[in-house]
Amino acid sequence: MAAMGSGQVGRSVRRLEGAAKVTGRAEYVHNLRLPGMLYGKIVRSTVPHGRIRAIDTEAARALAGVHRVVTIADIRAVVPEPFYGPAFHDQPILAVDKVHYVGEPIAVVLAADPHIADAAAQLVVADYEELPAVYDEVEAMTSAAIVHDVLKPAGTFPDLKHLQGRHDTNVALDFHLRRGDLAKGFAEADHVFEHTFRTQQVLHLPLEPFVSVAEASGGADDGRLTIHTASQSPSFVRIEIARLLGWPENRVRVKVPYLGGGFGAKLYIKLEALVAALALVVRRPVKISLTMEEQFYTLTKHASTFRIKSGVKDGRITARQCEVWWNGGAYADIGPRITQKSGFTAPGPYDIENVHIDSYSLYTNLTPAGALRGFGIPQLVFAYESHTDMMARSLKLDPVEFRRANILREGRPQATGTLMQDAAIAAVLDRLAARMNWGKAFERGSGTTRRGRGIAIGFKASISPTTSIAIVNVAADGSATLYCSTVDMGQGSDTANAQLVAEVLDIKAEAVTVVHPDTDVTPYDMATLGSRSLFHMGNAVKLAAQDARDKIAALARELGLPEGSNVPVAELFQKKYKMQAGNIIGIGSYIPPYAPPDHDTGQTPNATPYWMVGAAGAEVAVDTETGQVRVTRLVNVADVGRPINPRIVETQLSGAAIMQLGFTMQEKIELDGGQIVNASLADYKIPSLLDIPTDIQSEAVEAEQQSGPFGAKGVGESGTFGVSPAIANAIDDAVGVRLTTLPLTAETLYRALRAAANEPLED
Amino acid sequence: MSPFELAEPASLAEAIKLLDPQDSSIRPIAGGTALMLMMKAGVFRPTRLVSLRAVKELSAIATQADGALRIGAMTPLSMLERSAAMLAHAGVVTQTLRTLSNVRVRNVATVGGHLAHADPHMDLPPVLIALGAHVVVAGPEGERTIPVEDLFAGYFETVLRRDELITALVVPGQGGRRAAYLKCTTRAVHDWPALGVAVSLDGDSVGAARIVVSAATEKPIRLAGAEAALRDGGHDDAALRRAGDAAADEAETTSDGQGTAAYKRQLVRVYVRRALAAALGRGGAH
Repeated sequence: MAAMGSGQVGRSVRRLEGAAKVTGRAEYVHNLRLPGMLYGKIVRSTVPHGRIRAIDTEAARALAGVHRVVTIADIRAVVPEPFYGPAFHDQPILAVDKVHYVGEPIAVVLAADPHIADAAAQLVVADYEELPAVYDEVEAMTSAAIVHDVLKPAGTFPDLKHLQGRHDTNVALDFHLRRGDLAKGFAEADHVFEHTFRTQQVLHLPLEPFVSVAEASGGADDGRLTIHTASQSPSFVRIEIARLLGWPENRVRVKVPYLGGGFGAKLYIKLEALVAALALVVRRPVKISLTMEEQFYTLTKHASTFRIKSGVKDGRITARQCEVWWNGGAYADIGPRITQKSGFTAPGPYDIENVHIDSYSLYTNLTPAGALRGFGIPQLVFAYESHTDMMARSLKLDPVEFRRANILREGRPQATGTLMQDAAIAAVLDRLAARMNWGKAFERGSGTTRRGRGIAIGFKASISPTTSIAIVNVAADGSATLYCSTVDMGQGSDTANAQLVAEVLDIKAEAVTVVHPDTDVTPYDMATLGSRSLFHMGNAVKLAAQDARDKIAALARELGLPEGSNVPVAELFQKKYKMQAGNIIGIGSYIPPYAPPDHDTGQTPNATPYWMVGAAGAEVAVDTETGQVRVTRLVNVADVGRPINPRIVETQLSGAAIMQLGFTMQEKIELDGGQIVNASLADYKIPSLLDIPTDIQSEAVEAEQQSGPFGAKGVGESGTFGVSPAIANAIDDAVGVRLTTLPLTAETLYRALRAAANEPLED
Repeated sequence: MSPFELAEPASLAEAIKLLDPQDSSIRPIAGGTALMLMMKAGVFRPTRLVSLRAVKELSAIATQADGALRIGAMTPLSMLERSAAMLAHAGVVTQTLRTLSNVRVRNVATVGGHLAHADPHMDLPPVLIALGAHVVVAGPEGERTIPVEDLFAGYFETVLRRDELITALVVPGQGGRRAAYLKCTTRAVHDWPALGVAVSLDGDSVGAARIVVSAATEKPIRLAGAEAALRDGGHDDAALRRAGDAAADEAETTSDGQGTAAYKRQLVRVYVRRALAAALGRGGAH
């Protein structure tokens, strides 16, 4: 069996689950009903910041059909320390003493009929002593309103330990990077540019909202919990629930079927701790399914402010100072990791000798923010690539040539000092310029329609160090089953992982069965996030398949067969066990090398196991009388290493770009005094087919990630990187007006046009 | 959703009897596309819904002796969209229906419900006002007719009494009149309009133009000032621009998630001009 050349890798295998999904047979937690199950409806805070004086549950309890109304006092009987979180143990299962944002869960109504639970939940009334609140990430740095009385880092991450016990601050993490001599770099420069950019709070909106079911069995000493949940991180859920309960991991079972989208929302603990505690309180299975509207009160993407300052001499960037403020909302979730892991790429994919980065994670009184497809990178790229074009425009340099002159090339040190390796930044830029026909004349429109074009390029480090473990089970007939905890939430991981197994074992990918995450069955995986699975789990899967293949070869040798003989696997089992019996179990475990950054300077020789590179080019038509922008062409180019499944790569790139297009042009959580005023799909508009450019193209450049499985690396986020600044740059190209705040709405642009004409539109 | 009584009368008279002029928790329901959302959101908690689906006399499309087209109130929007009679009578209605909400809603929502709901973001009211249409209304005291122009009292408010039902929409013969409707959305291509502009001209003559805006205003409303600006009959670009400017001065736009009042005034200015150009057959006039 050859390691290469089975033809399974690089083939556009159709999604293994495609038929089940389109015929409505795929399994989702939403469809799960257990005997005796109760439905929970969450009662939510109506104020952004306040001390809870009382929660009146009497009317709700009196409603016929209500099983129980649960508050934190009931929860504490089974979970005495009910605080969870991946970075900070700051988030309570239900609000403790204080509420920190509008929509925070304060109680749960349980009933066998979900409509009764729903009606009763509206009868619960809480009384609050309102406290001053803060919503803006920059204001939160100095605000008198303090979201949390004391910081409680989880202890998982060494770089958060120094925050233990801090109080009177909203800063959940301050990350600093120092490279070279910033003052010298600016002194050398002929031109210094400083700009500030802002991105808005948006959310993931998977079409399957959050849903979890828990069932408890056994007694106090041998209790067991099974949690069925739409989660991207089953292993984390198991470990965190076990920690909350003080139980060993093996008494908590977490099962995850398919997900109807995740995008980073369904990570860590969302509803799992709540349903687990409720199941233990009432000793009946409990299910909570959020509505689409409730997703607005669960997790969002970080709003951000980024002040960027650069010095340029002879077309070369000599110094760059980056200050980034991340609006983390009421609970840290994974925000501090975004602050650091994405923060260190804030200077962009450029070769700059003198760099300072200060990146701050802020608590505010908004819905918590966490990972969202790109993990902070799209916010950063919007700023640094808008900034790049503004400098090029001011210096009368071609935007592509200016980038080429400064691009971070292979082998050169990135801001952390880590040398760039297998990062096809230059190739991606070249292919994008070629696809955009950059050197050729461009039709610029006339009358009230003006056309423009723009490009942008960004990059991302992978979250590290993280572990994946996989098992490949070869049955006595030679058929193969993969056990792994990667969650297929629509990105096609089942198919890709099956292709890896098939390539190694020289069988058809379609013949591989992939067992979905079940922590009693499938081994540990850090989580399905950050485009890490194809690389980390892919390596583990490949190792597991190779282990199985080696054991098959060993069995052949044991049976006295000559080296390289092609006796079918089924016959080997038959010869060994005298019947169709037995298994061969291959195991693969993968954790890439990593070196943590120095606390003071952010420097490290190994910041990431691989780099993701993504660029976008946009052509736009602007209606100068209304500010309406039509994106007429959107081109995405990325380095994804070697594509395992070219068709999935293409749809991941275009899907990511379309999602970011929504965040660029349309989407924004609108607030009024901490209250979300557009918490529904009627008023919060995600792109429909009509909003997507008819000309949308995606390309993976020729590239190889040497440390990746068959040369591959992650692809789920790269299509998001360049979209926002490419469009902002194209608008500037069309009408000479620069927008520095997302989203780029028609009204924002129209107002900017009027301001530029010295005829500002009244408010 | 709390329990409520669902009545399904078989006749109009019976339906009217089940309504109560004093009780706001009793309402008629036709397609239910808007009402059900209000109920799910807890904004409306009925004690009784009077379903009109079994009232057979409300769903026919027929040309009257006077040349007007009479459309039964329970006609689903999609049926009207596919009606050859409607297309021949006033194609602007057919075109408007094609981008009105989505096919799932159009299959269920009805003409009567669309009008009685009085959401200013509905697409048909401005068009029907421009076409000079009226509704036939039945109540305990019998029938009356109301011009669509006078049907709306305010934001989600009509002049109908609680025990009155729209039974039919009547669109008069248009003769040589030409009409156009432009819808402007600001948050996504497919969205409630931030502004709707309907215009109707007498052939090429703009002197008798009807100009109606909706969505950006509290209710759909004719803009008399903009119409007056065209009274001298000139229809060159400067005249259309004057009408747009007059419309912008006149329209009392409101601020909301779709845009500020000031921005919507600018949209009125531009879209009134473009709608007039479209009705005159100058499609690419911007």
